[in-house]
Amino acid sequence: MNGQAGRRTEAMRGGMMDTRRRVGASLWVALLLAILGFLVIYPVLTLLLGALTDTNPVVDGFSLRHLSIANFLTVLVNPNVAEALFNTLVACGGGTLIAVAIGLLFSWIVVRTNTPFKGFIAAASILPLFAPPLVAGVAWTILGSPKTGLINTLFKWAGLDWHVDFYSLWGMVFVFGIYYAPYVYMFTSSALRNMDPSLEEAAEISGASAFATLFSVTFPLIMPAIVSGMLLSFIVMLGIYGIPAVLGAPTNLAVLTTYIFKLTNWSPPLYNTAAAVAIILMMVTGALVFAQQKVLSGRSYTTVAGKAYRPRSLDLGPWRWLTLGIGVVYLLVVVVLPTLALIVAAFRKFMFIRDAASLFDMRQYSLMHFNSIFDNPLTLNSIYNAVEVGIITALVGGTLAFAIGYTIHRTHVAGRRSIDLVSTLPVAIPGLVIGVAYLWAWIGIPGGLYGTIWILALAFIARFMPDTVKALSTSFLQIHRELEEAAWVCGKGMLGTVRTIVLPLARPGVIASMTLLFVLAIRELGSSLFLYTSNTMVMSVLLLDYYEGGNIGKTAAFSLVQTVLLGVLIGGANWLSRGAAQGRVARTG
Amino acid sequence: MNRKIVAAVMAMAALGAALGGAPAQAQAEFGTPELIAAAKAEGKLVFYTANFAEVEQEVIKQFNKRFPEIRIEMVRAPGGQLITRVRTEAAAGKLIADVVDHSDRALMQPLEDLFQDYAPPNAADYNPDALISPKFWPRATIAWSIAYNTELVKNPPKSWMDLTKPEYDHMTGQVFAQSGGTTWTRIMFERQVLGEDYWAKQATTHPILYPSGAPMADALVRGEVAMGPLLYNVVYQKQKDGAPIKIFFPPEGAPVNPYATGIPKTAAHPNAAKLFLNWCLSKEGQTFMIKELGNLTSLKVPPAYPEGFDPKVVKVWYPKFDDYVKLHAAWVADWDKTFGYRQ
Repeated sequence: MNGQAGRRTEAMRGGMMDTRRRVGASLWVALLLAILGFLVIYPVLTLLLGALTDTNPVVDGFSLRHLSIANFLTVLVNPNVAEALFNTLVACGGGTLIAVAIGLLFSWIVVRTNTPFKGFIAAASILPLFAPPLVAGVAWTILGSPKTGLINTLFKWAGLDWHVDFYSLWGMVFVFGIYYAPYVYMFTSSALRNMDPSLEEAAEISGASAFATLFSVTFPLIMPAIVSGMLLSFIVMLGIYGIPAVLGAPTNLAVLTTYIFKLTNWSPPLYNTAAAVAIILMMVTGALVFAQQKVLSGRSYTTVAGKAYRPRSLDLGPWRWLTLGIGVVYLLVVVVLPTLALIVAAFRKFMFIRDAASLFDMRQYSLMHFNSIFDNPLTLNSIYNAVEVGIITALVGGTLAFAIGYTIHRTHVAGRRSIDLVSTLPVAIPGLVIGVAYLWAWIGIPGGLYGTIWILALAFIARFMPDTVKALSTSFLQIHRELEEAAWVCGKGMLGTVRTIVLPLARPGVIASMTLLFVLAIRELGSSLFLYTSNTMVMSVLLLDYYEGGNIGKTAAFSLVQTVLLGVLIGGANWLSRGAAQGRVARTG
Repeated sequence: MNRKIVAAVMAMAALGAALGGAPAQAQAEFGTPELIAAAKAEGKLVFYTANFAEVEQEVIKQFNKRFPEIRIEMVRAPGGQLITRVRTEAAAGKLIADVVDHSDRALMQPLEDLFQDYAPPNAADYNPDALISPKFWPRATIAWSIAYNTELVKNPPKSWMDLTKPEYDHMTGQVFAQSGGTTWTRIMFERQVLGEDYWAKQATTHPILYPSGAPMADALVRGEVAMGPLLYNVVYQKQKDGAPIKIFFPPEGAPVNPYATGIPKTAAHPNAAKLFLNWCLSKEGQTFMIKELGNLTSLKVPPAYPEGFDPKVVKVWYPKFDDYVKLHAAWVADWDKTFGYRQ
């Protein structure tokens, strides 16, 4: 019904659309495609060229003379690549299932129930997002190493005959799952919050139980958010280096990213082979994006229409203590344990822990690592640079993502499908490889982009465009077209409508995406490695230096500093925009 | 303008010499007064290194005690990434580095044309085994040793051969061969000096393989591995700080890897770069790196030895550069096969 009416109004509008507007639309699409061409297509092409040749495009010139598929074939027939691919799919698939189960459960608990202290649960449950994957990996090896892990030490102390081993595929699946649950939570909670509860009420009036309503009405309605969250967490896991690097290295367990990193880190480095492996990753991702579009196409998911409503919360009765209990256990495992592990590592002089008694021996603790990181002039520099890059990325990237998201989901201009496709591409390329692609592509641009903060910001904007656009699209999909049509009927122009209707309604989503972008930019390591120069060093690069320098104490101390800083900045930004947005960032993102 | 500064600095130097004598005279060891004045006028330099950032921070701090006027901005990256960066920047005409410092001489040699002629004042004091080109100098010389966790190992190894003992099964760790120039030096030493079958014997102890020495050193302190070959300068600081580890130089020899360090032709601060390298390569600089950082030196007559290094017992082993270049691919492939390291 709705769809038909929508099409009819469109037809009418199409008839009235004057030439000037059509020209404007084409110019707009051309502009977006030009920006995307610079940010995405050009670097990806240099990468392809790298994968199909044995040359460095900058050093040897952009020549097609050595074009061959030799690299590609070498990669395809290598059994180790197949094994890494298999490990990758198991780790990411298992991780995604856990992430979806946890993320969905928590968004429901926080948004839709009267569980006590749910605001606190919500705020704390996104904390893992602040920690770079490398740090998460380090924290979980401190906890879960089969030989020296704190969990095993404590089991032994308690006289239990239990044993955990996180240096395994299952360890990786578990850490992936709990670490990316906030991703799914972010998507699904804003969708749940924006949902009109009258549909659920209708189900209940018709006699459905609360449980049946959840699975027959609520979850199906927010399906786009669930699928997007699932897809995105899977794809992001595909590209993560830090966690599998730390957990997989001791048993020589490779996934595609660690394999790629190995190739670039060997001497001599094999970037061209790495680029070829990266193309396999891109193909996996491409298939997933295609599948998502197939699943979601042809259905309507609009739940925000021109009616007033309040999200309602379900009275769980005594069961609310069970949901609180689940929340507390989750926090304990996901936030408290790893944070404690980092705190122990940051304050302890050496990480050799003979037994539980030695863990509580206060003479082993000191501020030594904090003193030494703040003694290093690079530390403050890198913090300043990281925040600057983060802010530029969030503002510029958020604006661009809004423009792209709006064009894809709210207009019918020709070319919007290609915009969608191109803006999704970067997600498929691991940071380290795309870092080289950006270096190859952008270093030669006149005007001295190289060596400035901006080259980092541009790389992050391009790299995280898919995350931001996807995070925003759920907001767009939910706003019914009739609201915009009402504005047009009242004589507002396109820009006026965006400003007065779409922007305010999508605001929680926009703020959440910008926050996400800020966090991702501060955490991002892979693509920074090639683009930073002596005076644009950022925190993540310095963190890797500490880690590669073999000092787990300094690494832990610096990651605590980074986590606290992110918490303060995001809390502050949130507090500033509290009046404007409908909730705390903890709730929106 | 510049001449005025030079004159002023020279006047001050003369004044200093007249008043105290020592500082100006000591500085003369690192360059002519003209060079020092020009370096101070440049005021900074950009330093690319493959060595660990923290170690190099100490070097910079020490250099700044001598020459506080020269600020050093450091870019640190693992060997393979550093080479890619240098090549790409140079090709685009945007090489920012004033000094490039790399652990793998075989990777640096093909880039020789990018670098300018440079030799330190004490060039003749350097061991020719460490030199591969008149443009590159062994600013740092790093040596291999064996380290073990004293809490876990009650009957410690005493030699390279001991690392192959069956009683150490599942206790050893290693940095894999492909990781770079320093490790390549070690595995070459193992095969050429300790015997063709040394790798196979060592592989039977099921070592855990690490991508670089630093994470392995950390794993050693934590007790994830109990012993293994490690670069002395990676573990030295930890031992000094009181970590439960012990390091020694095995009697069969200490394989050393001299760095290749040079000044690009495009350096924007060539005088500061020269002064910095002059200082690093001087007796004072090398002594500092030996005593405080646990390096060795490629000076023919070492001014000092690191703690626990007895030149009467332990011989320093330099790889033949020809072998270093030619054998690399085939031997690393053999090593990978022996240790089951997958490419």
